[in-house]
Amino acid sequence: MNAIEITGLYKQFPGKRMTKVDALKGLDLTIAAGEVFGFLGPNGAGKSTTIKLVMGLLRPTSGRAQIMGMDSNQAESRRHVGYLPENPAFYDYLSAEEYISFVGSQFKMEAALLAQRSEDVLKRLDLWDARKRPMRGYSKGMVQRVGLAQALVHDPDVYILDEPMSGLDPIGRALVKDIIFDLKARGKCVFFSTHITDDVEKVCDRVGVINKGELLVVENVETILQRGVQGYSVFVMNPDGAKEELFIEKAHLQAFIQQSVVNQQSIEKIEPRRKDMEAFFLEIVAQ
Amino acid sequence: MTTIIRITLKGIFRDRVFQGIMVTACAFLLIPVIASLSMRQVTELSLTLSLSLISFILLLLAVFLGGTSLWKDIERRYTFSVLGLPLSRQSYMIGRFGGTALFVLLAAAVLGVAAFAVVSYSSAIYPTDRPIVWSTMAICILFDALKYILLIAVAFLFSTVSTSFFLPVFGTIATFLAGGVTQQVFEFVNSPASKALSPLVKKLATILYYLLPNFGAFDLKVNAIYSLPLPFEGLLLTAAYFVVYVGLLLSAAATIFSRREMR
Repeated sequence: MNAIEITGLYKQFPGKRMTKVDALKGLDLTIAAGEVFGFLGPNGAGKSTTIKLVMGLLRPTSGRAQIMGMDSNQAESRRHVGYLPENPAFYDYLSAEEYISFVGSQFKMEAALLAQRSEDVLKRLDLWDARKRPMRGYSKGMVQRVGLAQALVHDPDVYILDEPMSGLDPIGRALVKDIIFDLKARGKCVFFSTHITDDVEKVCDRVGVINKGELLVVENVETILQRGVQGYSVFVMNPDGAKEELFIEKAHLQAFIQQSVVNQQSIEKIEPRRKDMEAFFLEIVAQ
Repeated sequence: MTTIIRITLKGIFRDRVFQGIMVTACAFLLIPVIASLSMRQVTELSLTLSLSLISFILLLLAVFLGGTSLWKDIERRYTFSVLGLPLSRQSYMIGRFGGTALFVLLAAAVLGVAAFAVVSYSSAIYPTDRPIVWSTMAICILFDALKYILLIAVAFLFSTVSTSFFLPVFGTIATFLAGGVTQQVFEFVNSPASKALSPLVKKLATILYYLLPNFGAFDLKVNAIYSLPLPFEGLLLTAAYFVVYVGLLLSAAATIFSRREMR
């Protein structure tokens, strides 16, 4: 069973002066269980609209979305999901601990398990010391981490994260990447939106690029990176001890290595030079 | 749903608006002094002032808690996270309403105890000829609370269609004012004194009478103040009216809220 299945999802919003705005134009997308999928697109591309439709927060004009085989309009479909909204906000009169406990109870977690899981996620997200303080005193980054904690606490099979790295400092971003790697290792499905290409390159199995409500491409990250290799930077040391960096085209690498043995050059390092995810993304969006 | 009720109650207890409103309850301490200035009917006046103060505080709670509870959740984007949980929108909305209504009942009970203390004190110092019927006073406060719970249901209905707090707050206040006089207006248009009115106005008044909540039926202050017997059948009818009216309002609110786009 696929974790998320989106079929012909179309969303129209009322615009100014009785006009209609097509926010999403017939999106078809399938995300398998255990897959980490990055949903890439510029601001206003339709990423959050897609996620809100999948989460049942918006009603599709046509088409449908399913989570673990259940229509996403049914509340029960969210039982398998850990959801982090974009720029999340939580009842700020509650402490992080109280909110996590509330979320756990909505998933009908047993009290002992909930207490244990709550402690685990709060410690992991560095919120343990602040857990008893009302969230109205939290920084933006801390609220974002509460958002991740509440998505993780019930250990679901599917994670839907809308801009999970938003508002986080470099340490927080590294932590989120770690968490996603960990979820991937445990066979969980992660569907997350971002406009930061580096995040996708590092953690995703597949990436989908959306722009102006249209899904432009869905591709394996590994394939994109392989395809983007243009050549190699080769760091060599000559027989006289001098070091130099050379650019060798992809097709000539083998020949160069053989030649360097003949020339008594020692190769110290070979680094692929390739178009990165950003270049791929810009290319797609510009088309 | 019970967790939503619990969260709602917690939110109200920690809300500054609530704390501010409850400071108003300190006015109870002044009631015996003010009542004694009347020189006669001190107990009756204590009773009147106590019941009026309870009514006023419950009105503030109903308007500000009922009118802002759902709207605040949407405005502050709390709904995105809560409705992302396996919780139906209907359960969420009914839970929010239940928590607010339960709080109004609790507030009425606490304020009722304060009123009992004030009236007991006044009647001990200035004994009254007419006995105080405590059960009537309790039922009067209970029906007052029911009236404001009905008003909260109105506020919730307004909240489901509104994108700002104007309609939930001012619409609720307008409904309260109109609902307090519908009975008198209805009786007037059906009396010989209304001969001069056009049939259209009479028809309109009749439609509004059936459409708007009739808050007059919940007012038992005269019975409590003058120890008049309570009309048992009338109370049953009012209770049934409360259940049906609140049920209809919440059904409409839940239907609208379940279709609302969370943009």
